[in-house]
Amino acid sequence: MLVHPCSVDTPTNFQQTVDPDLIARLQRGELAAFELIYRRFERAAWTLALRLTGRADVAQEVLQDSMLKAFERARQYRGDAPFAAWLRKLVVNEALMQLRHDRLHVIEVFDDTLAVDESPAPWMQADAATVERALHRLPDAARAVLWLYHVEGYTHVEIAEQFGRSVSFSKSQLARATKRMRELLQPQLQVEVTPCTIGSTTTS
Amino acid sequence: MHDRLDHDFMNDESRQYDPNEAALGVALRALPASAPARDAWPELASRIRRRNVARKAVWFTLPAAFAAGMALTLAWPHLHRPAVSPAFTPVATQASGHAATPPANNIDALQASSQQWQAWVQKLDRNGAPLDGRQLTQAVAFQDRIGLVDLQLSAARNPSTTADLWQQRITLLQQLGLLHLQPYLVATQRPASNDHLISM
Repeated sequence: MLVHPCSVDTPTNFQQTVDPDLIARLQRGELAAFELIYRRFERAAWTLALRLTGRADVAQEVLQDSMLKAFERARQYRGDAPFAAWLRKLVVNEALMQLRHDRLHVIEVFDDTLAVDESPAPWMQADAATVERALHRLPDAARAVLWLYHVEGYTHVEIAEQFGRSVSFSKSQLARATKRMRELLQPQLQVEVTPCTIGSTTTS
Repeated sequence: MHDRLDHDFMNDESRQYDPNEAALGVALRALPASAPARDAWPELASRIRRRNVARKAVWFTLPAAFAAGMALTLAWPHLHRPAVSPAFTPVATQASGHAATPPANNIDALQASSQQWQAWVQKLDRNGAPLDGRQLTQAVAFQDRIGLVDLQLSAARNPSTTADLWQQRITLLQQLGLLHLQPYLVATQRPASNDHLISM
């Protein structure tokens, strides 16, 4: 039986509960309390930032800025959602903001008529390192949409809101990302990923 | 608001179940977590401490800035009259006798005020946020002008000129002080453009 990795309570994901007393101390501005929380979520936040931005230097910045916001806005956390979810939201927002500022103008534009590929999915055979390499070779928007949809569980509507784009943007980026992942994971069909700027057309 | 820690993907009606896509999700979620190459906590803690200090400084300096602003507003009409150099002092003013000559206690008051402004500026300079390049250039220019006024003060013999110079010195100190407050004013006025994305 497959066990969803996110259902395993490890210190490397956001599936962790935080002691309300610790949150209260954080809300009072106790740096020591925040360090405990930071240590617990550092890897999860870093990994999420890295998956969304695709670059270690940007992920480092996202980690710093989102954690800084977590400390400064801790009083805004009202407890109506798990603290980890609130923190994760900060990381996602910060990562997407970085992408918007830096590189998200490089978005693939393509028609929305991608054929459904019924062939066996190569990611079922690929090892984690290969999947990760392929993921990092995706264009920024496609990678972020793919991750938000499949791993963070966002809907297309939510992704569209986050990007300030339409739902069809989210759907088409997901379809393109899936297609590229398939191409990148099939050794005999290795294709270089070359993002195009907005306004250009890419036919598939 | 959004919270998917339970990962109830299949309950999402907008999701069409495709075994291949579902497998991609499983493969992505199975990727191992990684850690940053270096411990980011020391830098983060340092940033937090610096911002706490800056925030405290804002709370300390905002009332002072308000007072300075009020003083500047009240003094504005007087500050912008043309500086009267000794050579161009209207004869009529001199001829009118002692009426235009500021009393000695007025000069003493200006001098005391100047000292207070200077102490305030020095405190801001020591405890305030760092200035950017442009502000630093302006600060140096103000300091140069204050030095020039000091030079003129040391040579001034006419009480009226002396009073004007002390007034100029105070104005320059006020402007220098406001310059030191600019980083805080910018920080407090900056709109939180991404707040709408963070509410839960």
